[in-house]
Amino acid sequence: MTVMSPAPADLKHLYYQMLRIRRAEEAIARRYAEQQMRCPTHLCIGEEAIAVGVCAHLTAQDKVFSNHRGHGHYLAKGGDLPRLLAELYGYAEGCCGGRGGSMHLTDLEAGFVASTPIVGGTVPLAAGYAWAEQMKKSDAAQGSASVAGGRMPEATNVVVIFFGDGCFEEGVMHETLNFAVLKQLPLLFICENNQYSVMTPLAERQPKRDIYKIAAAHGLNTFSGDGNRADEVFQLAQSAVTNARNGLGPQFLELHTHRWPEHCGPNEDDDLGYRSAGELAEWKLRCPLLQTRQMLLGLQLSNDAELVQMDAQLTEEIEQAFAWALQGSRPTIDSMRQHLYA
Amino acid sequence: MRDVVMMSYGEAIRAALDDALAKFPEMLLIGEGVPDPKTIFGTTQGLREKYGAERVLDMPLAENGMTGICIGAALAGMRPVLVHQRIDFALLSVDQLVNNAAKWHYMFDGQQQVPLVIRVIIGRGWGQGPQHSQSLQAMFAQVPGLKVVMPTTAGDAYHFMLAAIADNNPVLFIEHRWLHHIQGEVDKHCPMAELSGAALLRQGTEITLAAFSHMSIEALKAATVLASYGIDAEVLDMRCVSPLDVESVAASLAKTGGKLVIADCAPELASTGHQLLSKLVLTHGHHLQQVPRLIAYPNHPVPTSHFVANHYYPGAEQIASAVLDMLDRSELTESVIGALQSDLPKDQPDRSFVGPF
Repeated sequence: MTVMSPAPADLKHLYYQMLRIRRAEEAIARRYAEQQMRCPTHLCIGEEAIAVGVCAHLTAQDKVFSNHRGHGHYLAKGGDLPRLLAELYGYAEGCCGGRGGSMHLTDLEAGFVASTPIVGGTVPLAAGYAWAEQMKKSDAAQGSASVAGGRMPEATNVVVIFFGDGCFEEGVMHETLNFAVLKQLPLLFICENNQYSVMTPLAERQPKRDIYKIAAAHGLNTFSGDGNRADEVFQLAQSAVTNARNGLGPQFLELHTHRWPEHCGPNEDDDLGYRSAGELAEWKLRCPLLQTRQMLLGLQLSNDAELVQMDAQLTEEIEQAFAWALQGSRPTIDSMRQHLYA
Repeated sequence: MRDVVMMSYGEAIRAALDDALAKFPEMLLIGEGVPDPKTIFGTTQGLREKYGAERVLDMPLAENGMTGICIGAALAGMRPVLVHQRIDFALLSVDQLVNNAAKWHYMFDGQQQVPLVIRVIIGRGWGQGPQHSQSLQAMFAQVPGLKVVMPTTAGDAYHFMLAAIADNNPVLFIEHRWLHHIQGEVDKHCPMAELSGAALLRQGTEITLAAFSHMSIEALKAATVLASYGIDAEVLDMRCVSPLDVESVAASLAKTGGKLVIADCAPELASTGHQLLSKLVLTHGHHLQQVPRLIAYPNHPVPTSHFVANHYYPGAEQIASAVLDMLDRSELTESVIGALQSDLPKDQPDRSFVGPF
């Protein structure tokens, strides 16, 4: 397997996308205390590299499913930022018209199908979506074969499901892994192993063994790596996405990372003592943005002035997105009854 | 143009699946046993041969995961029909049905839809026992966003199955195993059915019998014998559990002097009859001139042993007895029950059924 390092432009793209997510999450955290974003909000600060490194290889036709901690996945896949913010405020202009809040996001134009907060809930949906894509492609291939004498069909669209280490304990996860291998689905399982389910450490929930090896036993092609190294995630995901597109079946990536803020909400909660002393500080030294920034500067792919300008530009974009979102309109009371049935 | 064919309920289900597979290239038929030699009591017979293994297929024993997978396929434009040979197995998929299927269209503000049919069968008899004969229609009918139907006649089975598959919402399609052999008229040239409304099985003037699924057959039996005693009962088949057609029952009560017997194939505690009664009282209370009766199963599971299970299920006799009581004609009870009694063992619906089934 040939693993290519990200090209300079890719590395800069990864940094830009991570910084955009970081700044958006920080802005949400700052404004959360105003008590106007009245929904449970799970920030992904510290975990940005995984979303960005995987989504860098996806087209708008590829689909992403996600979970309660979904802002980063949504933004990395090209989800609309102003509509995400309007959703947090409960406005009609939100990506779910205010019906979902932070834990239910969608942007179909960008190929971000859905995030939901029942752990494991979207895992089989992603497989079902990939199954349908596979069937459609098979129909199209049969069609083109009869017309063009069996030329190679175009590579398949892939589907990505992001989930955490806790989700790997759900039964539906393993039901889905079984089916994905059975049908050789064009599906990527991305396990963000941040070692905590809310405040409960992995060691209290799972025996000491690698998660990806369980997936390997199911028959998936697996990868594991440092989820705080955007370049490493990028490389692993490149191989995995290429495999899935070329009909090599479902791929599984276990990526190690760490969440900085509290499970739900804008603050840090290290004072609660559920992490060992110094654990968070150590992970902060391994900040995905910091590491990529050092690479960019060390390899002279960028310079301080350019990165400062990038930061300022993103801050401006985010401010404008908030300004737009805050101009949102309240959903009408009557609208509450709509769309129970299609 | 009418094109009426006589067929059994089971054959009507098969015909509807066949016609839907032909009509909707995006339809999938999936479930444990769908393509096996017994083909879900014959209801999927020949469909894999006709439409291919990609569209008519078996599945891993993973009810919750497969329900989610079917939801995902539906989001991508397919029309899956997922079959459970007993409704009891659908309990394993309640998370996906309630948290995802029922809410998806609503919570994503109408941007996405889930055209999904869950086909389930209520078992009874030959020792189906506590976990192969539950009636869970009321539980599922309590979930906004799910449509729940339980047609009784072959004609409704055909048209409701087609309509459920054409519907862009999740539909729970409940069949009672004891309906499968019953013959009825199917007119394939009817327009597409609406998944709502009760069906009038028998017109009458003296009392309203509102019954669910197999209990509608029992109510009709009771009404037929009562008619020979000069008692004219109206029978409504409550073929839609959600939405529940309270208006038709109220209209019938206006005609029959507010006398109502409800018969449900479920334990009293889990009966949709309570939902029907509650809605009637709240919206048409003035129509109820007498305290209504609810004929339902006892509030415990059915044991397997046929020696006792045969005493578990109420039927036409209990319905007739309640009617006579309400009409103050109890002097007829012994004679009517005598006329209703049959020598058939109560754990088989028909002499053609030979265990196991």
